[in-house]
Amino acid sequence: MTTESLRKKTGRYLSGQSVPAEKRQIQNWLSCTNDKKTEISEKERELIENEIVAQINAYVVSSQFVPRQEPWWKKITAFF
Amino acid sequence: MSRNFTPEQTLIDRLAADDTTAFEELSRRYCYSLYTYCMSKLNSSEDAKRIVRNIFIALWEDRQSLPIDFSISLHLYTEVRKSVVQCVNNKLNKDADISVIEDGVIPGFNVAELQKAKQPVKFDDSNTSNGQHSALRTIRVEEQWWNRYNPSISLKGLKHALQNMLNLW
Repeated sequence: MTTESLRKKTGRYLSGQSVPAEKRQIQNWLSCTNDKKTEISEKERELIENEIVAQINAYVVSSQFVPRQEPWWKKITAFF
Repeated sequence: MSRNFTPEQTLIDRLAADDTTAFEELSRRYCYSLYTYCMSKLNSSEDAKRIVRNIFIALWEDRQSLPIDFSISLHLYTEVRKSVVQCVNNKLNKDADISVIEDGVIPGFNVAELQKAKQPVKFDDSNTSNGQHSALRTIRVEEQWWNRYNPSISLKGLKHALQNMLNLW
């Protein structure tokens, strides 16, 4: 497969316009998980986990400082 | 944060009530498995981290509108697959990343590689601390108790016997 055909196939897959054979091909590729096994230590794993969770937490905390604008239907229901 | 054994449904219920502790617990439970999946597909640690972070941020943003029968594992499974394809597509649109895709992703689309998806999942016995799980797994079909009983008369034989009885009567 060439990069150009893969680009077209993934584009069609994302927009929901791919034919069943293309869809099956991409889904099969996504389902192949046991081909590459990376051996990393428990400490490295913890570091990666902490890094991702810290980034997520930073977003969560910052989002709580910025008040979200409530939708109109919530304002009306709160009024009643 | 100390890890706990709170059921997922409880954590999801607490997430809908803006509980950040429950959200952190959920993200800790799943982030590494999502990261390894993305790494195996994209061979890029930065992309894998970005995808996992964005999935959980989107979950936090949509916490108020989660359906009643919401399954977090199913949601994450769907989202990570979609994000991986999106990332591959984005990389293919950039000339700088095409060589990475050619070396890391294109070989995965060979027919021989795709055939692996149809094979059953193999368990790695080296991960089990004692041989108990592997021993349980290797019980053959013939050794199962429901397969041990061999009836002396078959259905065909029973049918013949009944027919003969009716003919005599």
